[in-house]
Amino acid sequence: MNVLIAEDETIIRLDLRGLLERHGMTVCAEARDGAEAVEVARTTTPDVAVLDLRMPKLDGIEAARRIYAERPIPIVMLTAFSDRGNVEKAVAAGVFTYLVKPFRESDIVPAIRAATARHAELLAARRTLGAEPPRSLELELPSQNGHTWPLRLRRHEDGSLEIRTADR
Amino acid sequence: MRVLVGEDETLIRLDLRGVLEAAGFDVCAEASDGEEAVELARTEQPDIAVLDVKMPKLDGIETARRILDERPIPIVIVSAYTEASLVARAAEAGVFGYLAKPFREEDLLPAIATARARFGELTAVREQVDTLADALAARKAIERAKGILMAKQSLTEEAAFARLRKASQSSGRPMRMIAEAIIETFSS
Repeated sequence: MNVLIAEDETIIRLDLRGLLERHGMTVCAEARDGAEAVEVARTTTPDVAVLDLRMPKLDGIEAARRIYAERPIPIVMLTAFSDRGNVEKAVAAGVFTYLVKPFRESDIVPAIRAATARHAELLAARRTLGAEPPRSLELELPSQNGHTWPLRLRRHEDGSLEIRTADR
Repeated sequence: MRVLVGEDETLIRLDLRGVLEAAGFDVCAEASDGEEAVELARTEQPDIAVLDVKMPKLDGIETARRILDERPIPIVIVSAYTEASLVARAAEAGVFGYLAKPFREEDLLPAIATARARFGELTAVREQVDTLADALAARKAIERAKGILMAKQSLTEEAAFARLRKASQSSGRPMRMIAEAIIETFSS
């Protein structure tokens, strides 16, 4: 498993690298700020990202949002702040797990494993639907006698999908 | 937000209850072993479960699996044991979070928040998949029923489809149900 680490404090970054490697993970990229994290997420295509919340240039939440928008991967947020506001922002950015510093090895490794498993399920389900379903689509499905079977699909604001047979 | 707590050690269970209630959760059920947790998940229908791993009768991971089989909810494991094999089993069973004991309040509450959010997302996507699968199954049934009507009653495709739709409208039942009834009738 390839992991991206983004953390501006060198000692914590080294610590993270060491513990992840001890658990058989490969640290494929290290970033010292949020902008660099977005950049190396693009170039090294990690399987999972561990991001510090407070980083220069771009904070961890905004970095998470951008990384996820470009290519969805499970993201673990590390932070010294566990106030409700930050947690809510992280949740809205798509973060899978949120751990408070000083983090513990016994928390971070299981968090990565659980996040990876659940995110894989989410991706599989999304793939079944099609990555980015169009808002509205009219399908002409072929049937017998060269006729077609019209279907109308509409995706609502809340994400639900409405499927009707179009009237002839 | 109703929470089920499964933990055999009374002090830790009380501690969990205290932390959860202080954060505004309603601890609707407390279980001191895995079997009781499965039972309470069934009768109390909690929105989320926090489970210990080492519990009598049924361990927390098997408990999680059974709860998820019956009715999926976000589950966070809290355990003194974090060996890779245990974590892998828990991840495979479908848990959303796994925290080490002694747990820290500042980790538990965000773990519940992220578990709920990502579980909600997964559920929404899965419901869409089900809707799509239903729609495709309905289309298949309607196609078949239409073919049967065309063959048995020498109708054009339009007429067969119109007949199905009329039967659906006048009976107030979905076209799929009408179609399945036709298939049933003619294939038996």
